[in-house]
Amino acid sequence: MEWKKGSAELLILSLVEARPRHGCEIGKLIEQRSDGTIRFHVASLYPRLYRLERRGWLHRRWVEKSGQRRRRYYRVTRQGRRVLASQLARICGRHRPHHGG
Amino acid sequence: MFEWKPEILRRLSPLKLSPTREAEIAEEIAQHLEDRYQERLATGQSEDAAYRAALDELKDEDLLARRLQRVEMNFYREPIAPGKDGTNYFSSIVQDIRYALRMLRKSPGFTAVAILTLALGIGANTAIFSVVNGVLLRPLAFQQSQQLCVIREIIPQLTQFYPTFPANLSSFGIWQRELHSFENIGIADGISMDFVGRGGAIELPGVKVSSNLLDTLGVHPAFGRTFRPEEDQPGRDNEVILTDSFWRSEFQADPTIIGKAITLNGKSFFIVAVLPSSFHFPQSSELGALTNFSPHLAFLKPLGEDASQIGPLCDFDYAAIGRLRPGVTLAQALSELNVVQAQIANEANEHMDLRAEIIPLDSEMLGSARQGLLFLLAAVGAVLLIICVNLANLLLARLPRRMREAAIRTALGASRARLVRQMLTESVLLGILGGTLGILLAYFAVNAIVSAAPPGIPRLAEVSLDSRVLLFAVVTSVVTAVLFGVLPAWHIAHTEPQDALKSGATNTTESRRTRSLRSSLIGLEVALSTVLLILAGLFTSSLVHLLRVDTGFSAEHVLAADVALPPQSYSSNAASASFYDQVLATIRALPGVRSAGWINDLPLEGEGSVSVIGLPTTNKEDVLHFPLADYRVATPDYFSTMGIPVIAGRIYTEADRGRELVVISQNVAERLWPGKDPSGQLCLINWGGWKSFQVIGVVGDIRTIQMDKAPVMMVYMQALPFDHPVALGGSIVVRTMMDPSGAASAVREAINKIDSSVPITALRPMTAVISKSVDTRRFQMFLALLFAVCALFLASLGIFGVVAYSVEQRRHELGIRMALGAQLENLRAMILLQGMAPVALGLLAGVAVSLFLGRLIAGLLFGVRAFDPLTFGSIAAVVIIVALAACYIPARRAMRVDPMAALRYG
Repeated sequence: MEWKKGSAELLILSLVEARPRHGCEIGKLIEQRSDGTIRFHVASLYPRLYRLERRGWLHRRWVEKSGQRRRRYYRVTRQGRRVLASQLARICGRHRPHHGG
Repeated sequence: MFEWKPEILRRLSPLKLSPTREAEIAEEIAQHLEDRYQERLATGQSEDAAYRAALDELKDEDLLARRLQRVEMNFYREPIAPGKDGTNYFSSIVQDIRYALRMLRKSPGFTAVAILTLALGIGANTAIFSVVNGVLLRPLAFQQSQQLCVIREIIPQLTQFYPTFPANLSSFGIWQRELHSFENIGIADGISMDFVGRGGAIELPGVKVSSNLLDTLGVHPAFGRTFRPEEDQPGRDNEVILTDSFWRSEFQADPTIIGKAITLNGKSFFIVAVLPSSFHFPQSSELGALTNFSPHLAFLKPLGEDASQIGPLCDFDYAAIGRLRPGVTLAQALSELNVVQAQIANEANEHMDLRAEIIPLDSEMLGSARQGLLFLLAAVGAVLLIICVNLANLLLARLPRRMREAAIRTALGASRARLVRQMLTESVLLGILGGTLGILLAYFAVNAIVSAAPPGIPRLAEVSLDSRVLLFAVVTSVVTAVLFGVLPAWHIAHTEPQDALKSGATNTTESRRTRSLRSSLIGLEVALSTVLLILAGLFTSSLVHLLRVDTGFSAEHVLAADVALPPQSYSSNAASASFYDQVLATIRALPGVRSAGWINDLPLEGEGSVSVIGLPTTNKEDVLHFPLADYRVATPDYFSTMGIPVIAGRIYTEADRGRELVVISQNVAERLWPGKDPSGQLCLINWGGWKSFQVIGVVGDIRTIQMDKAPVMMVYMQALPFDHPVALGGSIVVRTMMDPSGAASAVREAINKIDSSVPITALRPMTAVISKSVDTRRFQMFLALLFAVCALFLASLGIFGVVAYSVEQRRHELGIRMALGAQLENLRAMILLQGMAPVALGLLAGVAVSLFLGRLIAGLLFGVRAFDPLTFGSIAAVVIIVALAACYIPARRAMRVDPMAALRYG
């Protein structure tokens, strides 16, 4: 996959689209889904998450489970969902001529 | 669990985050590292290896801080509205303001134009409002001024000549005894006395007042005492109270002035008090017709009159001011007063009725000024509205660019409300900047208005920028800003962000809706300026008519010198006649002088002495059927000098001196001897007793009182039939061959040569007298015209802007049309037509509104109808020409579009 600026954000958004996840889980999933080609370490993952949160695309809250320390969970906001949809539409749209022709 | 936090906090420390935020991040990342650590342990790694691998996630010592820095530090500067969480309301406003400032800095041209036009508009509005505030809104500078009222007497039989009269001294005495509706009634009459000050002999304007007048007004002296009741009596009236300005200018604010004496009319007066600087006595006609008070008073003196010597139905000279008892209404006071008036008339037994009128002091003082001032406020408000429309148009023109930015911000999470707030913050910021500059401008404008305004506007001296004016300026700025900002803001909020983004970065065009909105705004501008122009046109036309009015005399080449003879050296008519004979003889001998004469009161400089005139056969008891005439004393040469034509008979000559002859004006002749030559006829005059005079000649009617009032009946005499101080003052008129101003110094020398102690109170060409009599109208017309021309200029800028912008937007389309072979003329016509359509609609609306408003200001017009077709037609033509020019310039530019270039890059 072509590694483009903005793709990481898209990846993060799509990961938390289905259900809220915490930072470590997000990092791990990205690594798994890209077969290890994309690896986010702490110093690059969290600034990204915070930026998406600032933009209003992600929403976070602390969740405490019994017997565990509290963790911060991220979920996609309506705004983020819209961005995600439009970005995906653009990617698909851009590829359509190739499929067609 | 390992202590990860110290490691993390160390790396976060350069960011200097708030402790909460720092702790939050540290906790989250620590949890992450702990998870990683546990995972490694689970795969069988050693504790040490697992620890190092987990710590490795933090990478370089400073990477975390560097990455986080952009997110955390730039947050407050980022133009993204982040929604409701995480930030408080105040910081988001600060953010809006900073963003707005950045946007304004980015387009300095627009910002400068907006701030400057706003400053002019708000400044002009603030200045005019401060006049309205000082004149109309601020209570009079007297204690509980709403209880103060002016009492005027009505003689029903004379209402056709004078609807009301000032008070008479004997009535005043009776009112004081009989009336219970008033706490106090005081009277005043304007006087002037000779005073030899630091600048030589001058005539000092003052007021003689009843001892209770200051108490009635609720004015306390700054220091000293008020007059005592016994000082009202003649011979005991040798005290004066000085005004603050005179005390400062003549006595350098000497604090030990009380008890010192000053010499007035050659007599000593003791200074008993100095008035506070806030004291403003009503001036000239502010207390009704036939009263006269100078705008710059120097002193008050006691009445010094014996009421018992004055008949009940003569000498209606005094302005009477009463203070109603609390709880008493005007109607109650009036009914009590009218009972007393009926008694007075009954006792006088002169076949005259007597009634009275009570008018609240403030409405009497403001009189007709209210209408004119409110008109000016409306006019200047309309100019501001046009400025609003222009700015709204400018903002709308900038919309396509802003639309993209707004779309991005919407996509990034900004709500519509937030976008509107951001746009409004920008316009309010412009409003506040413009308003601040405007207040500064207003400060200078108010000073200019106060010094340039003619004396006809009441209370002008009290005009200043006070807290109410400042509040007005602030509210006006904000309201203006919201007015011009709300439309573009609304527009932005109701545009789908995707639409703006889709249309691409370079070719953002305005929508059909924006275009039609801009057109209707142009229509509004044109309508407003048309109304202002038509009203200003009507005022101008009135003034032109007024200046063209046949005054009945010829003012060209006439110089008028007012003199005031000191009463101590000119105690008889003979003494003053001898002075004037010598002066006139000296002046006639001057080179370049054709003739010279004298009259006791110049035309257009106020009321003279008014009395009845009748035929010897008229029943003297039936005095009310005699017409009233204006009496003037004039030398024989006065008529030829002023160019007043002799219609019948002749003017009295030097040889006639001592004979009881009069010259009458044409309208007297027509009234008393219709269709006959009155020369040689006798007439009956009541001037301190009945006396018959022989009519020797008839002269033309002249405008004596006001330019806009029909000529009054005039009777000219050689001298008053008794010694009367009215003969002491007067005007020497000189007809010259050249410019009359050139003779001024020679005339001054001639007067000084005969008696250097006689003050010359005014020396100016007669044309200046005419000009001064229409000063109020001229001032009003000047301001109305100024605002109207500003309005038209601003509207033409607006039209130009809209058409030019639309041409710029349609370059591509025009290019296609040209490439397809459209005729240039047709294209130009199309652009002109589209530009002129809203102008035509606005013009029609403006004419319709003017037809309605014209009726409201009909009272301010002279010699021109409110629907004057000439004014309406010429203003419409001017508006069309200016609008055409504003459309033509961009239309011509459109013709220079290179079709190929437009198609390629458009």
